[in-house]
Order: sequence, then C-alpha cells, then structure tokens
Amino acid sequence: MTSANQPARAVAVPTGGGHAGTKRAPSARVSDHLFAVIPTAWLAVFFLAPLTFTVVYSFGHSLFGAVELGFTLKNYQTALSGFYLSTFLRTVQFAITASALCLAVAFPVAYFIARKAGRFRTLALVLILIPYFSSFLVRVMSWQILLARGGVFEVVLNFLHLHDGPLDLLDTKTAVFIGMVYAYLPIAIVPLFVVLDRIPGPLLEASRDLGASRFQTFWAVTLPMARPGIATAVLLTAVPMLGEMVIPKLLGGSRGVLMGQAISSQYLQSQNYALGSAMAVLVLVAVAVVVAALARLTKGFAEVSA
Amino acid sequence: MSVRMDGRQKRITDAGLTLWFGLAILFLFAPLAISMIYSFNLGVVGKQTSNFTGWTLEWYPAAWNDLALRRSVQTSLYVAFWAALIALGMGASLGYALVRHPSPQVRKWLSGLTYILLIVPEVVIGVSLLLFYAVTGIPLGAATLIAGITPAAIAVTALIVRARALTLDPKLEEAAADLGSTRLKTLWFIVLPQLLPAILAGGLMSYAFCFDNLVVAAFLTTPTVNTLPVYLYGSLQYGPAPSVYAAATVVFLFTVTLLGLAALCFQLSRSSGRARSGGG
Repeated sequence: MTSANQPARAVAVPTGGGHAGTKRAPSARVSDHLFAVIPTAWLAVFFLAPLTFTVVYSFGHSLFGAVELGFTLKNYQTALSGFYLSTFLRTVQFAITASALCLAVAFPVAYFIARKAGRFRTLALVLILIPYFSSFLVRVMSWQILLARGGVFEVVLNFLHLHDGPLDLLDTKTAVFIGMVYAYLPIAIVPLFVVLDRIPGPLLEASRDLGASRFQTFWAVTLPMARPGIATAVLLTAVPMLGEMVIPKLLGGSRGVLMGQAISSQYLQSQNYALGSAMAVLVLVAVAVVVAALARLTKGFAEVSA
Repeated sequence: MSVRMDGRQKRITDAGLTLWFGLAILFLFAPLAISMIYSFNLGVVGKQTSNFTGWTLEWYPAAWNDLALRRSVQTSLYVAFWAALIALGMGASLGYALVRHPSPQVRKWLSGLTYILLIVPEVVIGVSLLLFYAVTGIPLGAATLIAGITPAAIAVTALIVRARALTLDPKLEEAAADLGSTRLKTLWFIVLPQLLPAILAGGLMSYAFCFDNLVVAAFLTTPTVNTLPVYLYGSLQYGPAPSVYAAATVVFLFTVTLLGLAALCFQLSRSSGRARSGGG
C-alpha cells in the first residue's frame, strides 16, 4: 500500500537548493526511524517489560508479599486445580457465551445502520457511542438499580405481561450476561458496521437478480463478506471479557467469581504474586487461543478504525 | 405474485430491523438515563436507593462540597490530561510509522504491537504494572499511573492517525522535497497539518478513555492519587451517596462536549480527505 511511495521519494531530484540533496537522504532515514523507535521504547518500558515480569514471576516460588525467582510449575498446578480451575473455566465459558450474545444483538443493529439508516447513519452511530463515554462504573451501578427487586426492569416486564410478580435478577448469571452485553455492545457494533458498509449494493442486487432469495443472499454473500468484522467484534468483546472484574462483582454477587476478580484478589488481598501472575498468564494464553482460533476461522480482521 | 410477496417480506424485515435498533438504543441509554435521574433522588439517610424516594437538587451542591470527591475529580482531570498528551504524541508518531516506515518488516511488527496493546485484558496490565513498579522500586504516584494507562490510549490514537495517514498523497511531500524543503520542514508544514484533525481526535478520545479508566488505576492507586472511578469503586463498599451520580452526570456532560469536538475534528479530517482523493 505504501511501497509505491518509497522509490519515488528516493528518485526525486532536488531542483532548488544546491547542497540540500546530500543532506536529505540520511535525515529522512533518521526521522522515519524516530517515529517508530520513540513509541516502541515507551511501550517496551511501560507495557512489554511489566508483562515480561508477570511471565517470569509466574514461575517463581511464592512467599507472602514477595516472590523468590526460580523455575517451578507449582503456581500453574494451583491455578489449574480446584477452585481456581473452575473459576478459569467459568470465565472462558462466560466470555464465549457473552461474546456470542453480544454478536447476536450487535449484528442486526450494525446491519440496520449500514444498510437501512440512510442519511441518519452518522447520527445512529453517534447514538450508539454516546453512552460509552459516560462513567462505566456509574452505568453498571445503574444496572443494579434497574435490576433490583421492584426496580424498573421488573415493573416494565410486568407491565408488558412478559413476567408476573417480583423478579430477582440481581446477583445472578443473567444479570452478569446483561451487563456484559450492555458494556461491550458498542465495541461489537463498530467493526460489524465497517464491513457491512463496505459490501457493494450492486453485489447484493446481482445475487437477487440471479434468483437467490433474500435469505440465500444474506447467507451466501453478506455473511461471508462480513467475516472479518465478525472476527474483530468477537475479538474486541471476548478478550476484555476474559479479564472483566467490575461487572461480575457488581451484578453477579459473590457466587460467580471470574478470573478478573480472582487475579486482583491474589495481588491486593492474598499477596500471592506468583499465583496471581500464573493466573494472569493463563488469561493471556486464553486470549492467544481466541485470537488464533478467530484468525483460522476467518480470513482476517477488519480494520477497526475506518 | 412473487414480487408482491417479496415486497411484504422486505417491509417486515425492515420493520424488524428498525424495532431492533430502537430497542438497542433503549438498552444502551436506559442506565445512562437512570444514572441522571437518580442524581436527583432523595435516597435514604444519604445513600442511593433503588426505589426513587423523591426529587431533590441537594446532591449537586453536596458533590461540589465533598472534598474527597472533588479531589478525585481533580486527580482524574490531571491524570487524563497528561496521559492523553503522551498518547497524542506517541500515538501520532506510531500511527505515521505504521504507514510510512520504509521497512515493510518494521511496519508489520509495529502493527502487531498496536493490536497486542488492544487485546491484553486491563486486569493483566494492571497487575503487571503493580508488579513491575514494586520490583523496580519505583514509588507509586501520579506519574506511574499516567505512564501505566497510556499504552491502550496510544494504540487507539495510532489507529485513528493511521487511517488518516493512509489517505496522504505522497506527491505533496515529493513536491516539497523537489522545491528544496528539508524532511523536517516537510513533516512540519506538509504532513502535520494534514494529520492534525486525526491527531486531535485521537487525543480527545484518549482523554475520555483515560479519565474513565478504572481497572488499571485500581491497582496503581495510592492514598494521595485517587481518581474518580477508583474513588467511586471504593465507595461501593459502604453504599454510594446520590452525590456520586451528580458528579458523574456533570462529568458526562463535560466529556460529551469534548467528544463532540473530537467527532467534529474527525469528520473534518475525513471529509477533507475524501474531497482530495475524489479530486485526484
């Protein structure tokens, strides 16, 4: 995409200043490298180095509030047995289910914005994104109010005759799923919108002209073309869900502890940094598996920033 | 006959999609509306309740007079400002390098790094930074928090700038070089003005993003460096007052104003890009 630019610039012959030509080539190289080197250096210190520490410490021997470096798999044994294993498996299961639910809710929304909203599409996108910019924590706290016994949700469902009597949703799995779908819906809609928006209209018309039904066109043309967007949407929702700690804590009560809370309590309460690190690495492994599976299932990821 | 049936089918699908979209908007806005409405809730003995107990305006002045709350807002503003400034600079630089670095291999590596920044869960980043600072003996403070929340913001800014940099016309830079401009001058007078709307949009997005950061900040907080989300999170244990909803409402209106500016910048950058590529 940029390969064409480079030779052209190198060939450019100075016609103005006399000695500028000799100076330009090396200075161009220096500035080009600086653009890459400065952010990489910053990220190496404040991102890659801390992650490396976590990986190294996950193999260390744990003392209270400290870690003796070494090589042991004991932390992984602990993290993959009993309570911790069931927490890990529950987290993976929650992330996959919530991400699938999120995708199911997001797809028709993205389809509507890309294909049906017409001149209101920018407005529709802005509407989707606005709540995302208010305090995340306060919105989850508001879900507590909505889902509480006698709360708005219960009143509305009773009014619509979809449910009778009191509804105890707070501190249940359902509440966590509602919260997860809610929190990650905008992030799922955007990449889906981007790919659906790119499908040329004439292509769909051609499919219809050639005798495909509405459903066949959707199944054989729209869906395959939306695959990179679906992959990105799943990636951007499932991955943070694997580490989500606020929603399960506020809406799930004490029964459904997920990895995010478990890791955080190893660091902040139990002071078992080695075990906490091993659990964090397990989350990273799960993330890597999700990424690899998505990359295999689809041809690639859609650009999120279109 | 099939055409008429098809038309009906289309109408039903369209109506279904419209309804679905409306429900999604309702779903997304309900908690936001509740948080605003409940900032006027009387509550019970100064605590927020899930039943609406009556209207009052007292929580807005109460939020203003709550020193701890006010300090946490100040800390958040300060932390978000510096983090956004760093993310703006680093992200712009990374975004430009993603498109224009001479080596395709380096571009591939940088793009891999950018995506990794976005897919490592925050809780893992939070504990890793806590461990990193503890082991290296760097005392926690505002600076360590600012540095810690920048990586994801840098990635977001870089992707926004990258999208804009892809539309840059290299002929303009060549022309500047042909006319004797140094590389630095070209960058400053030709490249930067074209990227500026995207850079500013990235900076504003980073600002909103860093202001609301809870998970990383929860691990790096200290008694003196307490951001608004961390303060709210702490207040959950003993039941939050409606004043935190009032504070959140004010902050939201402030953020939306910033977001409006960001959207405007991005819109300008996109429309000017489209106009130019359409012309050439």
